[in-house]
Amino acid sequence: MTSSEVPTWEEIARHHGRFLYTVAHRLTGSDDDAKDLVQEVLIRVRRGLSTYQPGNLEGWLSRITTNAFLDEVRRRRRRPVERLPDDPERVVPPTPGADIALDAEALPADVADALRGLPPEYRAAVVLCDVVGMSYAEISESLVVPIGTVRSRIHRGRALLRTALT
Amino acid sequence: MSDAGPRDGSAHLGDEVGALLDGELAAPEVAAAERHLAGCPACTQELASVGQARAWVRGLPPVEPPPGFFEGILTRRTADVIPLRRRRRALASVAACVAAAGAVLGMAPPEESPTAPQVGQLVEAHATAGGSGEPLTQLVPVGVPVSFGR
Repeated sequence: MTSSEVPTWEEIARHHGRFLYTVAHRLTGSDDDAKDLVQEVLIRVRRGLSTYQPGNLEGWLSRITTNAFLDEVRRRRRRPVERLPDDPERVVPPTPGADIALDAEALPADVADALRGLPPEYRAAVVLCDVVGMSYAEISESLVVPIGTVRSRIHRGRALLRTALT
Repeated sequence: MSDAGPRDGSAHLGDEVGALLDGELAAPEVAAAERHLAGCPACTQELASVGQARAWVRGLPPVEPPPGFFEGILTRRTADVIPLRRRRRALASVAACVAAAGAVLGMAPPEESPTAPQVGQLVEAHATAGGSGEPLTQLVPVGVPVSFGR
């Protein structure tokens, strides 16, 4: 791609709208918050297109979306009146998995609910890994945390998910 | 979990389990992890359990945007799609500036009821003034600009 091929918002919406909405929905867990998040991404895309590096548009969109999501999480944490749906007390504590049936089925709606119950930082790492398909290095760069932190958040997030769905 | 620990005495894999599933371990680490798994029922169980969660999330279907959602965004201008709470904050900050300016000039603070609609009109006029720019967003801190530089 050359600089003349920097994507417009119209192209993003047309060709990557469903992807973008999916990432926003898996991060936020609701239609209303997903819509708000996509609109925030629109604002950031319009301001930040010059930082676009050709070649991985969906990775770039995912990074903007995740950072906008975590910024909003931090904003709400500073204003405790607005309770987050993912308050820590809603998170199922990890338990040993020795008695877990390993061939269990889970409905997508239940998996999505369990994902929404994860702490936001874990959820962001799991979504970038298992929904977007980023490598740990890409997630580390996107979230600006060390690779070891990425590894820990993904592993603990999955362990919490598995417990919640048992 | 010492009762279920590995026979070779090596440390449990911990979050290496996830990295193993994701292909994020180097070849020597993979070999060491597999040696450990061969003698450690607890980590073998953990691998299967976390692998199940991984497969579930990866199997989630795409989420369809509501009909007309993106079309609606495309036909509106940026100022129209700023989330409502941000617009409220923008109005609040403008109102605070007006009050502060009044205080600096030694004037009585403006009455709340006549000021609020005027501020609203001010913001709307400001938002509609520039065609190419995003004047309203410049009033609103929306986080650190995203950059690909480290």
